[in-house]
Amino acid sequence: MTAVAPLFSDPYRQRFAAFMTNRREPDAIARLRRTAFDRFTALGLPARQQEAWRLTDLSALQAIAFQQPADAVVDAEVLPALDTPAHRLVFVNGRFAPKLSRLHALPNQALVASLGQALLTHPEWVEPYLDRLPGLENHAFAALNTAFWEDGAFIGLPHGTVVDAPIHLVFYATGNDSAVHPRLLLALEDGAQATVVVEYRGAGRYLNAPIAELQLGAGAVLDYHQVQEESLQAFHLGGVRVQQGRDSQAHLHLLSIGAQLARTDLEALLDGEGAHCSLNGLTLVRDTQFSDIHIRVEHARPRGTSEQIFKSVLDGKAHTVFDGMIHVCQHAQKTDARQANRNLLLSKQAHANANPRLEILADDVKCGHGSSTGFLDPDAEFYLRARGIPAAQARALLVHAFANDSLNRIRLTPLRERLARVLADHLALDIMEAE
Amino acid sequence: MLDIRNLHVTVEGREILKGIDLVIHPGETHAIMGPNGSGKSTLANVIAGREGYTVTGGEILFDGKNLLEMDPETRACEGLFLAFQYPVEIPGVANLYFLKAAVNAVRKYRGEPPVDAMDFWELVNERMALVKMDESMLKRSVNEGFSGGEKKRNEVFQMAVLQPRFAVMDETDSGLDIDALKVVADGVNALRGPERGFLVITHYQRLLDYIVPDHVHVLVNGKIVRSGGKDLAMELEKQGYALYNEEPGRARRAA
Ligand SMILES: Nc1ncnc2c1ncn2[C@@H]1O[C@H](COP(=O)(O)OP(=O)(O)OP(=O)(O)O)[C@@H](O)[C@H]1O
Ligand SMILES: [Mg+2]
Repeated sequence: MTAVAPLFSDPYRQRFAAFMTNRREPDAIARLRRTAFDRFTALGLPARQQEAWRLTDLSALQAIAFQQPADAVVDAEVLPALDTPAHRLVFVNGRFAPKLSRLHALPNQALVASLGQALLTHPEWVEPYLDRLPGLENHAFAALNTAFWEDGAFIGLPHGTVVDAPIHLVFYATGNDSAVHPRLLLALEDGAQATVVVEYRGAGRYLNAPIAELQLGAGAVLDYHQVQEESLQAFHLGGVRVQQGRDSQAHLHLLSIGAQLARTDLEALLDGEGAHCSLNGLTLVRDTQFSDIHIRVEHARPRGTSEQIFKSVLDGKAHTVFDGMIHVCQHAQKTDARQANRNLLLSKQAHANANPRLEILADDVKCGHGSSTGFLDPDAEFYLRARGIPAAQARALLVHAFANDSLNRIRLTPLRERLARVLADHLALDIMEAE
Repeated sequence: MLDIRNLHVTVEGREILKGIDLVIHPGETHAIMGPNGSGKSTLANVIAGREGYTVTGGEILFDGKNLLEMDPETRACEGLFLAFQYPVEIPGVANLYFLKAAVNAVRKYRGEPPVDAMDFWELVNERMALVKMDESMLKRSVNEGFSGGEKKRNEVFQMAVLQPRFAVMDETDSGLDIDALKVVADGVNALRGPERGFLVITHYQRLLDYIVPDHVHVLVNGKIVRSGGKDLAMELEKQGYALYNEEPGRARRAA
C-alpha cells in the first residue's frame, strides 16, 4: 500500500537536492523548504485509500516523471489580457517574466511584486506570511509547493489601502512534462481592498500545482478570481488558503475549464466576527476531463456568513467531484452558512459526484445545503424548438442560462465579459445574439 | 391546409387518439371541445411534434407535406404554432432574446437575413400593445414567475410576433378573466385572414363568442363524436358531454 510513495519520492528527492543547490535566499526560507519536503516525503502522494482522495485518480500523473521546468520565452499573444488597465505580473513556467509584466504606481506603501523580488526588498514583510495560514496541513501538493516554489506573486496592502485597478496574475506553462509550483501570497491589512485575477494557462503536458495564501485583516475586501484554462493535457492540483478577520469580505470565484485532471482544495477560516465569504464556482468539462473541488469553510467566530454556489456543466465522459464542508465551531453563534451544488449533465456518460457536508457545533445558526444533478429539461427544450429554434441551439441556450448565472456574480466587468465569450465559444453560441 | 387522416396515437402503450379525421382549409377557424382527458392536448402536441407520443396509424399533412416526418423546429419554421396549455418556465433566458432567436430561426429557414434590430423592436412594440403586455415582461426570463394569465398572454404575444400560418391554441382561455379573454381573442382575430388557419381548443363557449369558429368538433375518448357549426358550442354548454360520454355506440348515434 505504501509502495507508491517511496517510488515517487526518490526522483523527487534528487530533484529537491538539485533544486536546493545554488539557491540564494534567506536561511529561514531554506529551512521552510526542507521542513515542507520532509512533510511531503512523510505524506507521499495522495492515495485513493485516503477518504479525501477517494475519487481523484492520480495514476496518470504518477506514471509521469515530471522535471524541473526549463526557461522558456512565450509570445505575449498567447497570454490572456484584461480589457482594462491592470497591474500585471506574468510568470512563465513559474518564473517571473518582467518583459511581459506591467506595474503601475501604487498608493501608500502598497507592494505588488514577484515573490522573489519582494523577499529581496522586503523580507521582514514577506516572511511572516509565507506558509503561515492554517489549512491544507495534510495536502501533499501544498507541501510540495512550499518545497519547490520558484516564484510567484506578493500582494501586500497596508492598512486602509485601496487598489482600484485589478491585479492580474498570469501563470503560463510550456509543457515538456515540467512541474511548476507557483506561489501567491496576499496580505490585506485592516480595511485594505483589492481585486485579483489569477489565470492559469499553458500548452502541452505539465503539472501545475499552485498554492495561494489569502489573508484578510479586519474590514478588508477581496475580490479573487481564479480562471483555470490549462492545456487539455495538463494536470492542475492547486490549493487556496483563506483567513479572514473581523467584518472582512472575501468574494472568491473559481472557474475550471481546462486540464485533463484538475483539483482545487480550498480552505477558508472565518476567524473574525461578522466575516463574510462568498464562493462562486463554475466548471465546464467535456470528453474525459476530470475536475474536482474540495471546499472547507470554517466558521470560528460569531455572526459570520458564507455562501457557496458551485455549478458544473459536463459533456462526454467528463467527471466532476464537489466535496464541500461547512464547519461551524462551538462559539460561532449566529452563523449563516449556505451551500449549493448544481450539476448539469449533457451526456449520459458524464458523471458528477456531490458530497455536501455540515458539521455544526454551535446551536444558534442558520445553515443550509443542497445538491442537484440532472439533464436539460426536455419540456424547456421542446418549448424552444416549438418556436423554430433548432435543437442544438435550444440546448446551448439552456446550458448558457444555467452557467451564465455564475458569471453574472462576477463584478469585474471586463473579466465577466471575456468569460461570457469563453462560455459562448464553448457552447458554439453567438454571444452577440445572446445579449 | 391541415389534413388529419385516421390518426391513431398511443402514450405509454395506451391508445389516446382512436382515429381522428379533421380537415382545416386556409381561412378557417375550428374549435375542439371535449371533456378532460379526452385527448385534446394529445392532438395538439402530436401536431407540434412533442416527444412521448407514438403515432400508430394515420397521417397529418400540412400543405400537402408529411408533418409527422418533420422535427418540431421544422414544423414551426413551416408556419405552425402551438400555444401551450401549460407554458414552460425557462429561467435565465430572457423573453425578448428568446423571441428574437425564434424570429431569426424562422427567417434563416426561409433563407432570409436576420431581422433588423429596429424593425424587430417596432414589431415587438406593436404586438405588445395588441396583447396589452407590459414591457417589463420582455426582460424577464421566459414565463418565469409569470401569473397564469400572464403566461397565456405571453403565448398570444409570441404568436402575434411570429405570425404563423396555422396556430393551435390549447386552452389559451383557461384561467383568464374576461378582460384577458378579450385580449387573447383580439390577438387571434388580428391574425385571422384568408391564408391562416386556427384550431382552438377550449372548454368554454364564451371564448367562441369572441373568436367565432367556422366549425366546432366534439372530442370524446379519442374520437371526434360530433361536428357542427358555432351553435354546437352553445348546445354543449347547456347539455354537457353526458350524452357522448357513455359507451361508444351511443356517442355515434348522437353524432
Ligand atoms: N405524457 C403522458 N404520459 C401519460 N399519460 C398521458 C400523457 N399525455 C397524456 N396522457 C393521458 O392521455 C389522456 C389524454 O390527455 P390529454 O392531455 O390529451 O387530455 P385533454 O383532452 O387535453 O384534457 P384536459 O381538458 O384536461 O386538458 C389522459 O388520460 C392523460 O392522462
Ligand atoms: Mg389539455
